[in-house]
Amino acid sequence: MKTILTIIFRLTVSCLLAGAVMGAAFVMTSKAKKHNEHVKEQKVMLNLLGYSEKNPAPASLGMHALYRYIVTEGEALSMGYLVPLADEGRGGFAFVAIDLDGNFLARHPVTIAEEEAREADAREQAILSVLGPGRTIRYADQTIIVTDGEKRMAYLLPGKFPGFKTFIKVMMAVDPAYGILGLEIMEHEEDPGLGGEIVQDYFKNQFKGKAFDTIRKLDVVKTPLPGDYLQALEAGKRGGLGAEEVAKIQEQYKDNDIYALTGATISSRSVTSGVKGMVRKFSYRIAILDRVLAEQHIAVPF
Amino acid sequence: MKNPAMFRKLLLSLVALLLLPVLAQAEGLVAGQSFGKANEIVVTFAAAMDAAKVTNPANYVVYEEQDPDIRLPVTNVALAADGKTAILTFAEPLNSTQAHVVSIANLTQAGKAAESFRVMKSYLGYLLSILVSALLINNFVFTKYLGLCVFFGTSKRKDTAKGMGLTFTIVMVVSAIMSWFFYQFVMKPYGLNFLQIVIFIGLVSLTVQAVDTILRKVNPALFNAFGVYLVLVIANCVIIAVPLILADNEYNFFESFMLALGAGGGFLLALYLMSSVRERMELAKIPPTFKGVPIAFIVAGQFALAFLGFSGLNIF
Amino acid sequence: MATDKSNMQLVVNGILNENPIFRLVLSMCPAVGISTTVMNGFMLGVAVLFVQVFSSCTIALFKNKIHPRIRIPTYTLTIATWVTVIDLVLAAYLPEAYARMGIFIKLIVAFAIITMRLEMFACKESVNASFWDGIGMGLGFMFGMMALGLVRELLGLGTILGYDVLGFKPLLFFVLPFAGFFCVGLMMAFFNYIEIVYKRAKRA
Repeated sequence: MKTILTIIFRLTVSCLLAGAVMGAAFVMTSKAKKHNEHVKEQKVMLNLLGYSEKNPAPASLGMHALYRYIVTEGEALSMGYLVPLADEGRGGFAFVAIDLDGNFLARHPVTIAEEEAREADAREQAILSVLGPGRTIRYADQTIIVTDGEKRMAYLLPGKFPGFKTFIKVMMAVDPAYGILGLEIMEHEEDPGLGGEIVQDYFKNQFKGKAFDTIRKLDVVKTPLPGDYLQALEAGKRGGLGAEEVAKIQEQYKDNDIYALTGATISSRSVTSGVKGMVRKFSYRIAILDRVLAEQHIAVPF
Repeated sequence: MKNPAMFRKLLLSLVALLLLPVLAQAEGLVAGQSFGKANEIVVTFAAAMDAAKVTNPANYVVYEEQDPDIRLPVTNVALAADGKTAILTFAEPLNSTQAHVVSIANLTQAGKAAESFRVMKSYLGYLLSILVSALLINNFVFTKYLGLCVFFGTSKRKDTAKGMGLTFTIVMVVSAIMSWFFYQFVMKPYGLNFLQIVIFIGLVSLTVQAVDTILRKVNPALFNAFGVYLVLVIANCVIIAVPLILADNEYNFFESFMLALGAGGGFLLALYLMSSVRERMELAKIPPTFKGVPIAFIVAGQFALAFLGFSGLNIF
Repeated sequence: MATDKSNMQLVVNGILNENPIFRLVLSMCPAVGISTTVMNGFMLGVAVLFVQVFSSCTIALFKNKIHPRIRIPTYTLTIATWVTVIDLVLAAYLPEAYARMGIFIKLIVAFAIITMRLEMFACKESVNASFWDGIGMGLGFMFGMMALGLVRELLGLGTILGYDVLGFKPLLFFVLPFAGFFCVGLMMAFFNYIEIVYKRAKRA
């Protein structure tokens, strides 16, 4: 009996010690983790828009996050967008509810600071508190609308879709006409040497410059990548081709389908169809949201 | 297996567990639904329907479950001669990996109204695809390179391979189910995700200890045969990888069960194949530099190459 | 019982005589799975070094307080704690390297080499000796991983640490996932060969 008690006591003490060590590590790292993720995301976004350290973004550049939620009330579903407000220098946010047919339902002012709005939990709490009881919300996705002064420059769409092995997480920049400005693979677990090549310039840059109409019909072909196109796609790497030449070649291939990676047709196809789906859905939703915002005279900074 | 009656019972309960989601489907005006060709959904009604009401595309609202605001326009509805089967044609190909929700307005027959229903690939098929994927396509040993220490250690003899594989499968399934419960009902609600590693490894040790004790008391013969492998289970990375994967993918109970079963079965399969080759290799002339472990690695590489052929396999 | 080896001997022992990958044939999963580049090998090596050293020291420090009946659970708990710590730290400060190594960081917890070292060495020796033994084992693992990474990266991609040294890709085969098996097998055979030749030369 005494041994059992000693064992229990010692196990408890070691568990408590272990818990203390892990808890301390968690507390110390969680802030840095969030900060680093945010910095990395910002960097990727600016890169996608064509800015770098040599070519910094102008101060007038504004990035406005738009969060989409699915609202459930009993059996009924509706969409809700958390939009930043521009009016009279007060800022703040509003939660705009739209039904499934695209009609305006309601508008709730949400009081939340901009930094807090980046935290998923705090955001959710703030929205729930203005919606009233009986409604639940489910986070769907986020869009970042990039403006330069009054003008809309681009949309940044983070997305996630199934790849060959597990999910592929991407960030995509599209222009106001929904043509693709750039694609960046954020996370993936495809095989190195095969599907893992989706992160290479010669694959992901193929999406650059595709117009909306091309994207709708975009497919994957298994023919080898033409040499001049390859050079143009990898121009950023070795600095071989001049900007003019690259533009010329890009123009020549801009209506072509995506050339599949050797030995990784499935990965290529999943990225292509994922990108297609993202652009198609986004263009549909932003059109509805813009119409509603205009009809209801909701002033937004984008 | 030394105990056929027990084995049969185990198999039966397994089948019952598999059939559960299928039997739980409700009866209504709509008797069946499935995906047809790339851009079709086939709806089967319980009784013959009025063609005029059914074939009006405006009555249908169809969307992917994840995106309820994006309607998929129905271009045409064709009703078969018996009045029971309707084929909905869409403008664009459907993404059949997603569940679609179809609701039909203004359609009542014999007092029953057709409400909205979900169209998706058969759930059983989906579950089986998880199983097959873990077993063959993403075999943990040959395509994810996990559990190799134990794999090379216990694949010298077929008997050892079978014993290890079976013990491992049982512990895998039990610990994965426990991990799933813990993840869903303790770790997720209280934000303890960062304790994943400790909790999962703790549950595995607990399972091993429990199986050890129970087997020792209940079936000493079985314990004598399999007891030695129990200790090795804990040193196998697959056993900790599976809970981590199912936590990452937010699998539900059945899916977790299938993944664990596939992982265990895949390990058994890999061990058995490997041990068969290694038993033969003892008779072969192998250069002294390659004797033992090096040649085993080369063989495993060839198996991995062969298993690569399963990738892209899509049965269901 | 205290070891009579000096600190330096302990370290060398871990790297050569008892190299975890090529001699003890332990922790093969990462050796096959993610040894595609030198950098991957180095990063995972650092993580294992950290876990090994800290776990060894922890066990050596508390060796008199651990009840023999709960030895193994205590080892597991210790390792899992330090793995969690390195997992959190890497995820926070080196997110890119962390993403490349995927699940393998978390799987350090199931590496036989660490538990084995605790059982065979740390629970009997002083903190100092355990520290150097941990360093040796960690470096040995890192050395093995980096050697594999070097061969695979050089032959597969024609680069070392991401720098183009060959200017072409000799054998893409070597970076493909399954080639890890062949690579480990061939390198083990190579070490065996050296040993055989060495022994023959000694006898002659």
